[in-house]
Amino acid sequence: MNRQISRLGVVLIAAYLLAFVQLNRIQLVDADDYRSNTANTRDIVMSFTEPRGSIRTADGELIAETVATRDDLERLRIYPHGELYAHLTGYLSLDYGADGLERQYNDELSGGDLDIRIQNLSDLFIDRDRTGQLHLTIRHDVQLVARAALGDRRGAVVAIEPSTGAVLSMWSWPTYDPNLLSSHDLAAARTERIRLLADPANPLRSSAYRERFAPGSTFKVVTAAAALADGTVTLDAPVYAVTDSYLAPQTTRPITNFGGSSCGGDLGDLLRVSCNTGFAEMGIQVGANGLISAAEAFGFNSEPAIDLPDPTASVIPEAGFFADNLPLLAQSAIGQFEVAATPLQMAMVAAAIANDGTLMQPRVVEQVTSFDGTPLRVLQARVDSRPISFAIAQQLQDLMADVVTNGTARSLQITGVEVAAKTGTAEIDGTDGTHAWIIAFAPVHDPQVAVAVLVEGDDTTGQQTGGSVAGPIARSVIEAVLHVPTSTGTPAPAD
Amino acid sequence: MTRQRTLELSLLLVAGIVTVTGYGLASLGERSSLPANIVPFLVVVLLLLALGHLAIRRLAPTADGTLFPLAALLNGIGYVFIARLDSDLAGLQAVWTMVGIVAFATTLIIVRDVRDLARYRYIMALVGVVLLLTPLLPGIGRTINGARLWVRLAGFTIQPGEFAKIALAIFFAGYLVEKRELLALGSWRVGPLLLPDPRHFGPLLAAWATSLLIMVQAKDLGSSLLFFALFLVMLWISTGRTSYLLTGGLLFCGGAVAGWRLFDHVQQRVSTWLDPWQDVTGAGYQLAQSTFALAAGGLTGTGPGVGNPGRIPAAETDFIFSVVGEELGLMGATAILAAYMLIVGAGLRIALHSHDGVETLLAAGLTTIVGVQSFLIIGGILRLVPLTGITLPFMSYGGSSLLANYVLLALLLRISARDPIVVEQASSTAESTA
Repeated sequence: MNRQISRLGVVLIAAYLLAFVQLNRIQLVDADDYRSNTANTRDIVMSFTEPRGSIRTADGELIAETVATRDDLERLRIYPHGELYAHLTGYLSLDYGADGLERQYNDELSGGDLDIRIQNLSDLFIDRDRTGQLHLTIRHDVQLVARAALGDRRGAVVAIEPSTGAVLSMWSWPTYDPNLLSSHDLAAARTERIRLLADPANPLRSSAYRERFAPGSTFKVVTAAAALADGTVTLDAPVYAVTDSYLAPQTTRPITNFGGSSCGGDLGDLLRVSCNTGFAEMGIQVGANGLISAAEAFGFNSEPAIDLPDPTASVIPEAGFFADNLPLLAQSAIGQFEVAATPLQMAMVAAAIANDGTLMQPRVVEQVTSFDGTPLRVLQARVDSRPISFAIAQQLQDLMADVVTNGTARSLQITGVEVAAKTGTAEIDGTDGTHAWIIAFAPVHDPQVAVAVLVEGDDTTGQQTGGSVAGPIARSVIEAVLHVPTSTGTPAPAD
Repeated sequence: MTRQRTLELSLLLVAGIVTVTGYGLASLGERSSLPANIVPFLVVVLLLLALGHLAIRRLAPTADGTLFPLAALLNGIGYVFIARLDSDLAGLQAVWTMVGIVAFATTLIIVRDVRDLARYRYIMALVGVVLLLTPLLPGIGRTINGARLWVRLAGFTIQPGEFAKIALAIFFAGYLVEKRELLALGSWRVGPLLLPDPRHFGPLLAAWATSLLIMVQAKDLGSSLLFFALFLVMLWISTGRTSYLLTGGLLFCGGAVAGWRLFDHVQQRVSTWLDPWQDVTGAGYQLAQSTFALAAGGLTGTGPGVGNPGRIPAAETDFIFSVVGEELGLMGATAILAAYMLIVGAGLRIALHSHDGVETLLAAGLTTIVGVQSFLIIGGILRLVPLTGITLPFMSYGGSSLLANYVLLALLLRISARDPIVVEQASSTAESTA
């Protein structure tokens, strides 16, 4: 019997050692993953009834604050502008945790952050407000204009200051009212959440930074950057043949131009009229590696370094995928097929070009202050990367300015301000509708704002072009940022 | 003899200090003030420890000196966190602890030799089976959280299964020692395997059928697994035949697969085990919250009273280990694991040092109960095995569990007192001659 008992001991001890190993995995190795798991609402719920700092826009508009209530929970989070900032502030719910800045900056807002808690040693002994107040880079006036300009169309607007990465406006529709989710009426909050989750348009997810769409012709600036970088094209050569269709290798299905038109010429000619045939051929010439590395330099295939939770990465397939699929490489070069980008990513592309090739990290929070306004943490502008050279950035600036002066983005002409832009009209699988895109920045030689606008398409929208549909929205936003009186631009031609 | 008692006394002091300090710290962490009853609490803890110690000193002076302090430590830490979660339950748990220690002393008084118990093995078998099946009786049986494990009698809710396992361990010990030679005889050749006569598989099949019945009728996977594992391990130890272990293992696997195919509650347990994240707000909620609690604890824990363990459903009972993991961290949780390992080690050492077959087998069986049951629930929490709703011995809230485990402990100590550990004797002899 003794041999069996010894073996039993070995087995039981081994089982406990296994438990010890697993305990280490959960409590140490993978602990951070579990702590940041979206289903983990522990930190948020602990701070639900605690004092919490307010959130204000750059121009001082109050967009989230905590007020005293008479019920058991004592304090209620309210959002004075309702849906306007929902995708930025997020919500603070007892049952569902938090999203947006409420989640990202929970430590600062709740005063759990040690730097904020102990500002100086004497603070430890007096009871006072230790919450942090968020001051955003967002401008309330621009945000209002963005909402009004997009109206009730599904889509997104992102405006960035190119030299700092400061996000001036981020609006997406459909959205939701965070007051309903943060309510103390838990049953109502639950009903509202169920309704939002059931909505196919997914209003809880910001389409500005969490949803991807085919970028269409706006992606051609990335293709142009890749071709300029490896010398495939210069401003003068080659001159692409004027044609109405391009047949990529390995296929019999040609790529055609918008509306069946013919186009060709040098790089400037192609960009001005958004020539599919020319850019498709350019994509094949650049090759998969060149196109992918140019896209990844702008931030594709990695999550953008923005200070909002769970940003979605924009994507382009791997080189191996294109090796036997040159027709798909040609499609990708014109922003179709598997290439997909968030509006935030396309705004970053425009901002990098505007900022002479230097991409700044996009950010929403300018600084965290104490209750009396003393700055506790100033979030510095940080360089994200240098996706393109100064020279290529200058060339692309001029080419994009020409698109506004003479090309598909004439709807963006603003008196007294030189604007650069690129339009996009992306086909959607399975419907006849198109996504209307535009990326733009202004003024060209002293850029104050880079903007990306997406208006989603479906069967009901029909063929909406970037120039005519997205252009006027971008125009309003640029005018708002630059404090230029509103005007109406030249009607846009087809994309 | 005195060395074991001196060791026990000093270890008990450590257990008492840990318990009272933990109790004070949890209150400081939660309310920034010491509990009002800290002094009476200290007195009661010391009195209970002294009662247990004096009972052993008087009734089983040569017994093992580590088991009671280990149990007292686990009981104390468990109490601290139950008190931190729910003060009403803490009051009840305090009463159950007192009853448990009185039952511990009473068992030492009544049972002077466990072989006397083994003489009544068939009565024990009857008692065990009846206890196991009473919750299934209409009228007195109660279903709590989907499992039908409780009996309501005279205002008390009792979990008879906790006592059944002890009765059955006694029965198995007596029965198997009597029949071991018969059962160990190989007379039936199947391929390379020399198996015992098929008719001797009868008891194995009976045990298997009973465990399946518990799984299906009481919907309790934990008790079913524990009961069957206990029988199988004791059968294997007494006969030395691995073929029983293999056959039994296969039978259980077959039963489990059939159960998985036939019953929704088994299927749900298994899919939650494999991926609790697919239904985080539903079936996987408890495991997810427990995992978040453990992750929040990290290396050193949030500190007693400072964490947020109330978010875990059944934190006081099945998930008390996660509560310790959150507030005392990996270090505290590891200490708990180590305590169970030491109990297993001490229990098996007692089995190895016993000279009598019944005692050896019973000691091994009782140790298996504590070792396997603790592993099943801790492993369930850590997702090493599917989660089964059973208590963590000495730590979880629950009167039946606490009472039964103190009786079990008294039996182990009784066995160890009859055959004191030889090494210990040698060294004390050496000491006295020196």
